[in-house]
Amino acid sequence: MSLWRLEWLRLLRTKRWVALLGVYIFFGFLGPLTARYLSEIVSFAGAGGATINFPPPVPADGMAQYVSNALQLGTLVSVVVAAGAVGFDAVPEMGVFLRTRVPGTLRILLPRMVVVCGAIVFAFVAGSLAAWYETWALLGSPGARAVLAGIGFGSIFLVFVVALVGAVSARLNSVLGTVMVSIVILLLMPVVSVAGAAGRWLPSHLAGALGELPAGGARPSDYLGAAVVTLVATVCLTWLAVVMAARREL
Amino acid sequence: MVRTTGLTKRYGAAAAVDGVNLMVPAGSVYGLVGPNGAGKTSLLALLAGLRRPTSGSMIIDAGPGEIAVLPDTPRFDPWLTGREVVSLAQQLSGAAPDSVDRVISEAGIAEAAGRAVGGYSRGMLQRLGVACTVVGAPKLLLLDEPASALDPLGRREVLNLVARLRGVATVLFSSHLLADVQEVCDTVGVMKGGRMIFQGPIDRLLVGSALPRYVVRCRPPIEPVIAGLRLQEWIAGVERSGPDELSITVRSLADAELRLMAALAGTGARVVSFGPEEVSLERAFLELTQP
Repeated sequence: MSLWRLEWLRLLRTKRWVALLGVYIFFGFLGPLTARYLSEIVSFAGAGGATINFPPPVPADGMAQYVSNALQLGTLVSVVVAAGAVGFDAVPEMGVFLRTRVPGTLRILLPRMVVVCGAIVFAFVAGSLAAWYETWALLGSPGARAVLAGIGFGSIFLVFVVALVGAVSARLNSVLGTVMVSIVILLLMPVVSVAGAAGRWLPSHLAGALGELPAGGARPSDYLGAAVVTLVATVCLTWLAVVMAARREL
Repeated sequence: MVRTTGLTKRYGAAAAVDGVNLMVPAGSVYGLVGPNGAGKTSLLALLAGLRRPTSGSMIIDAGPGEIAVLPDTPRFDPWLTGREVVSLAQQLSGAAPDSVDRVISEAGIAEAAGRAVGGYSRGMLQRLGVACTVVGAPKLLLLDEPASALDPLGRREVLNLVARLRGVATVLFSSHLLADVQEVCDTVGVMKGGRMIFQGPIDRLLVGSALPRYVVRCRPPIEPVIAGLRLQEWIAGVERSGPDELSITVRSLADAELRLMAALAGTGARVVSFGPEEVSLERAFLELTQP
């Protein structure tokens, strides 16, 4: 039993993998379906006698619908799962077990962050592939290059989310507090982007790439600045998480 | 060997550990006793490196991987089995894999080892904690109330295990169960208000701290005897410890040996038996720690 296997078992036995895969794959299939039948759904639901005409759906709508759904609930589930994994001192007696046996908090944190990060990215990619397949089946094929680039940028954003949760957890040492603060920070980033051009450099800019690139309104190069900032921020937050966890007393 | 000099841990104005000079000889079993809030757990946390001292110094003759800590209420991921928890502790401490089954058996959880820890009782968790603590054959064991949640059989097994470690490892354990400390410890440290108010061999604590006490059995009536003895200024106290039994505390052994028999005769006591009361660790502890 190693620390890596411990994290793998945490994912499997606590059914966190089901929550992650479930939410992303569910929206992966639901998003394009909603885009394809939006006008029928609205008509069926009843519009009070009014007639609403939607433009004919295009392939980009399928991916955009997936991104708008998955990025809200999916990110929330990712934050909760990550907070449960990286908060190794949240129960002090469990923290004592690890801290008195493992030299250095990096060795404790690294498997936790890497495994949970891998699981979240895997779930996001699986959901994106599901959305891509269904978009192709229902609406036509979105550009492969745009979709793959969007998946890449979205994955980088989720890696940043895990690093953010790690740093917040190292500061707060409470799973609930970590979830709340991380969500507030993630919600604030799009608000900042509305206020000015700085939003193009923020990690949150990457989150929408999978919806925007297939539509043709943006090019992959438009996200490179945000990708670099996000990667640097990820490294800094991970370093901060390790340093703050090392300084904490039990 | 563990030695601290002026070890202090402050939280604001309050000192959880206040200038403690601890000396635990290598290979010994050291008992740390004290009332709630005395600073025992804080001292163990400082020695384990879980907290940083405000001032003072520590010398610990064991590397980071050679110190094992058992908290008073051990907790583990509830979805792991007992065997997996011990296996993780073994892997992290670098011990031989074949030691897992042995320590599980010694801790008395062999039958439950395949079950998820979430279903363990508090006593079983403590046994599991003990197994995790000893599996790596550490040089220094810091045990915080290791037998507090155990039934009499479990307590006996843990005490036997601790006793077997004498000479093999250095053991420092805190306990409210003074009988446990008296049974397995070579040396005892008594803490109160963050300070170490006594440290040394148990024998010295028993002989040196408590006032001498005698137990006298008399035929009734016993009240005139109590009243007569209380008039003597060299007698610190007289208590009725049974229907026809008195516990007499004297200020010095010399006073008792010279005057007690005469004083009893002076009260008209019809003495059935007379003898010194054996000093228990509990009594010595209470006399040290009570205001």
